[in-house]
Amino acid sequence: MADLVQSLFAEATWVHYLVVALLFGAIVVFGLVLPIAGITTWVERRIMGRMQSRIGPNRVGPAGFLQWLADGIKNMLKEDIVPTAADGPLFRFAPYVVMVGFVGTFAVLPFTSALIIADLNVGILYVTAVTALVVVGILMAGWASNNKWSLLGGIRSAAQIVSYEIPAGLSIFPIVMLTGSLSMQEIIKLQGWAPWSWNLFANPFAFVAFFIFFVSALAEGNRTPFDLPEAESELVAGFATEYSGMRNLLFFMAEWGNLYVIGAIVTTLFLGGWQIPFTFESKVVQHLLEFATFFLKAYGVGVLVPIWLRWTLPRIRVDQMMSMCWKYLVPIAFVNLIGTAAWMIWSPVWLQVVTRMVLVVSAAAATMMFAHRVVYHLEYAKLTRAHLLFNPLATTRSPG
Amino acid sequence: MSLAGFEVEVQRSKDDGGVVTEDMTLSMGPQHPSTHGVLRFVIRADGEVMKEAIPDIGYLHRSIEKIAEKVGWHGFIPYTDRVDYVAAMFCNHGWSFACEQLAGIEVPKRAEYCRVIADELCRIHSHLLSVGSMAMDIGAFTPFTHAIREREYLNDLFEELCGARLTFHYMRIGGVGWDLPTGWIDKLSHFLDRFEPLVDEYDRLISFNKIFVERLAGVAPVTAEEAIDFNLVGPNLRASGVRYDVRKDEPYSVYPELEFDVPIGTGEKGIVGDCFDRYIVRMREMRESCRILRQCITQIPDGPVIAKVPRNLKPPAGDVYVRLESARGDMGWYVVSDGTAFPHRCKIRTGSFSAISIVPKISRNLMIADLIAVIASLDLVAPEIDR
Amino acid sequence: MGLATYFRSIKDAIATIGEGMAITASHMVRKPFTIEYPDRLPDGVRIQDTLPFRYRGILEVDLEICTACLACERACPIDCIVIEAEKDKAAGGLVMTRFDIDMAKCMYCGLCSEPCPTGSIHHTPEFEGADYSLESLVRRFVRAPTVAYRPKKAGETDPVIKPILDRGMRYLAEFAKGGES
Repeated sequence: MADLVQSLFAEATWVHYLVVALLFGAIVVFGLVLPIAGITTWVERRIMGRMQSRIGPNRVGPAGFLQWLADGIKNMLKEDIVPTAADGPLFRFAPYVVMVGFVGTFAVLPFTSALIIADLNVGILYVTAVTALVVVGILMAGWASNNKWSLLGGIRSAAQIVSYEIPAGLSIFPIVMLTGSLSMQEIIKLQGWAPWSWNLFANPFAFVAFFIFFVSALAEGNRTPFDLPEAESELVAGFATEYSGMRNLLFFMAEWGNLYVIGAIVTTLFLGGWQIPFTFESKVVQHLLEFATFFLKAYGVGVLVPIWLRWTLPRIRVDQMMSMCWKYLVPIAFVNLIGTAAWMIWSPVWLQVVTRMVLVVSAAAATMMFAHRVVYHLEYAKLTRAHLLFNPLATTRSPG
Repeated sequence: MSLAGFEVEVQRSKDDGGVVTEDMTLSMGPQHPSTHGVLRFVIRADGEVMKEAIPDIGYLHRSIEKIAEKVGWHGFIPYTDRVDYVAAMFCNHGWSFACEQLAGIEVPKRAEYCRVIADELCRIHSHLLSVGSMAMDIGAFTPFTHAIREREYLNDLFEELCGARLTFHYMRIGGVGWDLPTGWIDKLSHFLDRFEPLVDEYDRLISFNKIFVERLAGVAPVTAEEAIDFNLVGPNLRASGVRYDVRKDEPYSVYPELEFDVPIGTGEKGIVGDCFDRYIVRMREMRESCRILRQCITQIPDGPVIAKVPRNLKPPAGDVYVRLESARGDMGWYVVSDGTAFPHRCKIRTGSFSAISIVPKISRNLMIADLIAVIASLDLVAPEIDR
Repeated sequence: MGLATYFRSIKDAIATIGEGMAITASHMVRKPFTIEYPDRLPDGVRIQDTLPFRYRGILEVDLEICTACLACERACPIDCIVIEAEKDKAAGGLVMTRFDIDMAKCMYCGLCSEPCPTGSIHHTPEFEGADYSLESLVRRFVRAPTVAYRPKKAGETDPVIKPILDRGMRYLAEFAKGGES
């Protein structure tokens, strides 16, 4: 970006740099981050509708696509209520802290081989650090609301996020060891486009680390089954109870957008990032395909699977969540760490190749078994072809 | 500190460093997404762990028992729907049964079968709402919508039978208000064919899900002695291992001619009488109700569906206490007549009232999240508690 | 906790979560249950026509066959029906000057429609009764003083009244009759 500024202005002072940086930030935030967060709400509500035998929003725009815009506009027009007994400055500031913790991660997300805002050489460490800001924001929201239920929600959330930082961080270590670098682009470059060259199937320890990381990232993002801090049926809305209008929306946009960030990180670390099999002379086509690959992988694993989990699973209680973290995830993450190190030192090359193939084949077999189970459920409920509707965007005009 | 007329003693302790620790008083107030109806709990908690959870009832009191004295014998039946609107058929049945005992009216056989069919359908209806709400309170929203979807099929059946989806007013003193419409029995068996596999699917989706079991197993166990002491009835009592079902032990209507089992809690996932037992007993009762319904469909005789009862009914003076097995347990109706066209007194004994009285005892030292599970597993409905 | 229980609980968690996910995935391809009322119904379908005959919707009184017997007023437990009728020798019978039903109070129980001798007061499949003022919920059926109907022993022959009476009697036939099969 420095080159860009210098090429535009003859004498570039710090003001020019600042303005360009802010403009860039605005484009990224308003053009990419907020639409992703908003459209994820639409995707979630449509998918959740179909899973619950109903249709999601389908009135505002084609197939309800503009529902998120309508919700956003509605929230902006709402009355801004700040409880009189609430700690004013903290109360007003908390949503912004949470948003910074979330938007800040976009600075290092590698969308294509060249499209990355800042290829820091401590990329993944920066991500872990910035997402920890969310804890501060949630605690501020819980405390400043002057509401016992919010306080409970804020404290639960702080305990949860801080605890799950550990297994998340520990699960990143195997990948860093395999790559030898913390930089996001480096991690992707050392994987390939084919599933057997992804870090996911590199060795059995990395395979387990993927799931540990995924579960920890879900917990950090306050998603079911870890959504105690905002448990609707217990704490009304947890730490966000007293928030209305746009402030409330900022909290939830941070949550939904965080899903994409989880997906992006998981894709970078485990799923080969933007790697595509061919190279093209046209840079535009190359980067477009790389972007599409990255986006689809990130969205599929980071958004669709958590939505699926959210609408299947109940909520874990606070103490069970803590015991799961410290008794299950952390020991297994340590085993992964040591196992990966041992694997890297002692395993011969032929074993590594064989292991990769075995893991890929077993993952494919597991997916086939899962699909078979889905068909079993449809048959058990005695559903014929007439009862099925495969189009996710369709509505039906008569009850089943 | 005084809240709504009762005192909650907040405990303070001072440790050696001079730090004062005080309990937190929370009001899980009348408006709350997961109290089933308008209930209120005042919770005295030390962080997440509750020291005391005191129920505060009365937000839904509508003086239904007093209204009985004003509207007369026939006119009260629509009001009985509102005593427990989740399982309204049982309330209709209870009042009609009591009046028939007072006035010495004999109900035709076909009417009794119609009543049992309506009762068992209503039991499925109520249990679906109970297990669905329980799943929703624990955090799984999808099983709730699936349960509501099945209830919609039941609502359609009820709508064809008596014209309403919630406040049925189906039964009359001396029988039932309408005979089964033509083709309704086929629709009923079609519904049962569709429903029974879906109960299994529901089990697979949520009942034995590890997270769900962990939330419920071993939470707030109620021993058999405690259950009997606190007057628990219905699925709450049976989950504690006590095999008592009014349909088997003091049979009424045509239940002696029907074959069904009474599921009891065995502590399969934790302790006998914990929240999971109360939940799984309801799931199993739904299957038993399907079995009863299939028998009724084949055994129902022809005949009249209502006895001749004068419009200006004046039962002889006296009192009667009848009990029947409602979805929430042993529902008792004590009706006193003084020989006029208006009842002298009507007292309704409901299962939820006793169930809410045990909440302070079993929720000591549980977490707030567990209180939600306890309330949901006891299947409290506020209209039944307050009447 | 022994090692066996440790691994068994992990295996249980994965198995049950996978099963749940398979069920929700199977729901993704099932037809939704929603009827999109009122904007997107199947063409030409009025929901009110699909409701069963016994549906207890908003009350309607067919004054052509009302005999002014006041049985419905007596039967209503909430006293939401008010009828005023006087004997008028000149008109040849009872003349009704007022028949009001307060739908705001009505609890749709059907106790009024049971004792009606001709089925003139009955529930309709109408349920869309929301309005902006409480006063508009009082349905006033008598516009001008109306002569009460007198059922004819030999059966009704008037071509205007006969279909209404047939419908009323059909409505009453649905109710259980005391002691008859």
